[in-house]
Amino acid sequence: MSAEPQTASQATPRRRSPWRERFREDWLVFNHNPLGRAGLILLSVFGVMALLSFLPPLIDPMYHPMTGVDPQVLYSEGPSARHWLGTDFMGRDILSQLLAGTRVAFMVGVSAAFMSIVLGVSIGMVAGYAGGIIDTLLMRLAEIIMVLPTLLVVLMLSALFGKLNIWTIVLLIALFRWPGVSRVIRAQTLSLKSRPFIDAARVAGASHTRIVFRHIMPNVLPLAFLYMTFRVTAAIVIEAALAFLGFGDPSTVSWGMMLQWVWKTGHMFQAPYWLFPPGLCISLITLSFYLLGRAMDEVLDPRLREENGTV
Amino acid sequence: MALLEVENLSIGYRTKRGVLQAVDNVSFSVEAGRSLGLVGESGCGKTTIGMALMGLLPRNGRVTAGAMRLMGRDMLGLSREQWRGLRWKEIAMIFQAAMNALNPVQRVGQQIAEAILTHNPGLSRGEAHSQVEGLYQLVGLSLERLRDYPHQYSGGMKQRAVIAMALACNPKIIVADEPTTALDVIVQDQILQETKALQKEFNIGIIFISHDISIVAEVCHHIAIMYAGQMVETGTTDEVFREAKHPYTRALLGSFPALGGERRPLRPIPGEPPLLIGQLAGCRFCDRCPEHGHACKLDPPQWRRFSDTHFALCDHCD
Amino acid sequence: MEQAPQSKPILELRGIGKQYRSKGRLGKGGGQTVVALSEVSLEFRAGEIFGLVGESGSGKTTCGRLIVGLEKADQGELLLEGRSYGTLKGESLRAYRRQVQIIFQDPYQSLNPQLSILDSVAEPLVTNRVGDNKARLEKVLATLKAVGLSPPEDYAFRFPHQLSGGQRQRVAIARAMILGPKVLVADEPTSMLDASYSAQIFDILLEVRQRLATTIILITHSLAAARYLCDRIAVIYRGRLMETGPADAVISDPRHPYTQALIDATPKFGDCGPIKRYGTLVSPERPASGSAGCAFFRRCGLAHLGRCARQAPELTPLTLGHLVACHYTQEAPAPETGQACRLGGMG
Repeated sequence: MSAEPQTASQATPRRRSPWRERFREDWLVFNHNPLGRAGLILLSVFGVMALLSFLPPLIDPMYHPMTGVDPQVLYSEGPSARHWLGTDFMGRDILSQLLAGTRVAFMVGVSAAFMSIVLGVSIGMVAGYAGGIIDTLLMRLAEIIMVLPTLLVVLMLSALFGKLNIWTIVLLIALFRWPGVSRVIRAQTLSLKSRPFIDAARVAGASHTRIVFRHIMPNVLPLAFLYMTFRVTAAIVIEAALAFLGFGDPSTVSWGMMLQWVWKTGHMFQAPYWLFPPGLCISLITLSFYLLGRAMDEVLDPRLREENGTV
Repeated sequence: MALLEVENLSIGYRTKRGVLQAVDNVSFSVEAGRSLGLVGESGCGKTTIGMALMGLLPRNGRVTAGAMRLMGRDMLGLSREQWRGLRWKEIAMIFQAAMNALNPVQRVGQQIAEAILTHNPGLSRGEAHSQVEGLYQLVGLSLERLRDYPHQYSGGMKQRAVIAMALACNPKIIVADEPTTALDVIVQDQILQETKALQKEFNIGIIFISHDISIVAEVCHHIAIMYAGQMVETGTTDEVFREAKHPYTRALLGSFPALGGERRPLRPIPGEPPLLIGQLAGCRFCDRCPEHGHACKLDPPQWRRFSDTHFALCDHCD
Repeated sequence: MEQAPQSKPILELRGIGKQYRSKGRLGKGGGQTVVALSEVSLEFRAGEIFGLVGESGSGKTTCGRLIVGLEKADQGELLLEGRSYGTLKGESLRAYRRQVQIIFQDPYQSLNPQLSILDSVAEPLVTNRVGDNKARLEKVLATLKAVGLSPPEDYAFRFPHQLSGGQRQRVAIARAMILGPKVLVADEPTSMLDASYSAQIFDILLEVRQRLATTIILITHSLAAARYLCDRIAVIYRGRLMETGPADAVISDPRHPYTQALIDATPKFGDCGPIKRYGTLVSPERPASGSAGCAFFRRCGLAHLGRCARQAPELTPLTLGHLVACHYTQEAPAPETGQACRLGGMG
């Protein structure tokens, strides 16, 4: 009895792209959510930081986060006009390291999350749609991987093969983090599969590939994006942990790496200006992605209600 | 005195696009032992009225004008506590989806007993259970079914159980919102007959909400036709069916296929009902009206009287 | 009944049977077998509207899904224009479906919410590689117009949630009709719609039949709707045909106690004319008769406790084209037989 359907049918102006309209509505809901707003603001701060990371080495080679050493500094020093956040034990600028770390965090987080989502969505859709033995096999595989502790396995692998390249780490995180997504997507696919519009597509002559990609995928993508924000968080934390434990890629400066240097050189309790920035950044970026995900969750929710509950 | 009186009731919903006037200036009354059928298509406001009568309007809905009186007592100013005392005891509702009104993990008999106990705290468990047994016999359910769970019931049995639940506290008035929509014809017929019999026996007033005019014709003494938030015609069942005045009523009657008589072509109503947001001048059915066209677009139509009970909201019908 | 009864059937069901096996509880295996359809044989003639009438769970929807190949029959065969489509698969299934289409009950569920109307309606063209994009767009617009969505440009670029139920069902009809199928299955096309919309949908179906000579199989629970639309109807109960014949004959002179019970139960109003009460239903239900007996035994007031419980009656012709599956109607013909004869004979 809600008046929603007729409202919508008559209020629509001609030929205006409904996608854009939909996006606008979603954006309004999102923007009304204080959590989402906070997350977005925080995230844009990090985005700016990642962009700024290209700057310091251009100003002066000594600001290069990895190789730039300030000849005037002999040991770790606190903040000064020359080094706003101070330097590390070799005289490298902490601010430039922090900025470079932001870039790495984004890179690691987004690419690992993206890869795990692609894997998870495809496997989930195939399992849910195909059913039967394929479903069973894929889901058992997912369960096996899910119970393996990611951090431990990656640690063991890096102990076996020596230091791992940052992209290998990204790949490993992606490979270990798809099962959760695939289970959710599979459940969604199962419920979509029994909806009459899939039958309608079959009668219209659509092949299985077409049904999966044209009919099921657009309906699970919003959920996949939601999961992606949570996966980003997980990937960043795993990478930081690996680096802190000394199994990171030695050729990149990540926040975890910075923490490891603090710890290894015994500055844990001597140089708060060095310890806190990377630690705080890890917590805040995780928080911002998490808030973003929560807000997206709320955007998706009314949409689901609107589509299912029209009478 | 009428059991239930509704006067000039208007209900609005706050929506993103503005206030949606779901019910506009609706008046009716129900006597004890009589039934009123509220008929209209989805979106006409009939369910909203039912919800308002139960004090169950959604949070964005609000009664904007008018009055509702139950046995002379004003219902609009009631507090939450007072509503709780009224609901089920004085006025009960049979919901659209009977299947969902039952708790799936509790035995059906138990659920009804609980309902009785909540509203009559003085009763003992045994008394409540014997009342439930009486109710089961009343609605034609076998007593062996008392200890079953809802999923073991068929659709018709669930609907009967829900009716038993509505009768549990001896209400004076029952609001039945599409109580048989999900049921098969034969079961629907049985339930309608039983409803009629129960109404006679207990002298209950019934408000029967339905989109199906043929069902309402079976059970109701009076009929009110609703369109786009307004009542457009009201009268006894005979009057409305034999001498329908309002073009919408006629169109509605003409769009149902009949089982007997001559095979006449149906007359579909073209177009869609208007959007109920913002100002609506003139007759709301105007755009779809097959009889009088656009002449009534400007001025709001007035009620015309055809008999003591028969009225239509149309300037041109006679 | 304009067409000659001898005209070759366009679609034929021969002894169709379908069972579902419900899963056993907690790995105990050996679940129950539920018979959805049992020995259903029907012939659909070119250009007719055939009503399949029954309650929920009667197997009428399964029958419709079988006809469009969404389910596979366990027994019997399906013939389209005399050609058997026993095992529908791949290319032959696609070819078959160009001829046999369906519209579903719930227009809120049968359109993909993420696809525009244009994409939904054009889908059969795309999957069957008909025309290029421009030709497809034109065809879609023409078809939308034909089902009363005009101007079609207004609707083609919208999404399902922007349309009313009646409009969505028209879109569904447009999609089903865009390839010009010979047979259209309409599965309760109006049961989710308001009366004014459902009359519109009925009229569109009638128009489709008239313009394109499409055979329409209307699956419905409403005898009144069947009477309005159909040339012939079949009444189905628990997967078995109870009665079949010309719509007028079956409704004005039902011979099976189940059909009679259905007519008793249908709400009557307006100019219904004299319709008698048959009172053939027995309440409460009898205990089950086992699988051998008549499907309607448990609720039948006329049933003979011995014969009807043990032996399922065959579908036997009463008059030309009017068949009934009941042991007792044949033995004691009602006095009105003469009139039914005339009606049937005209067909």
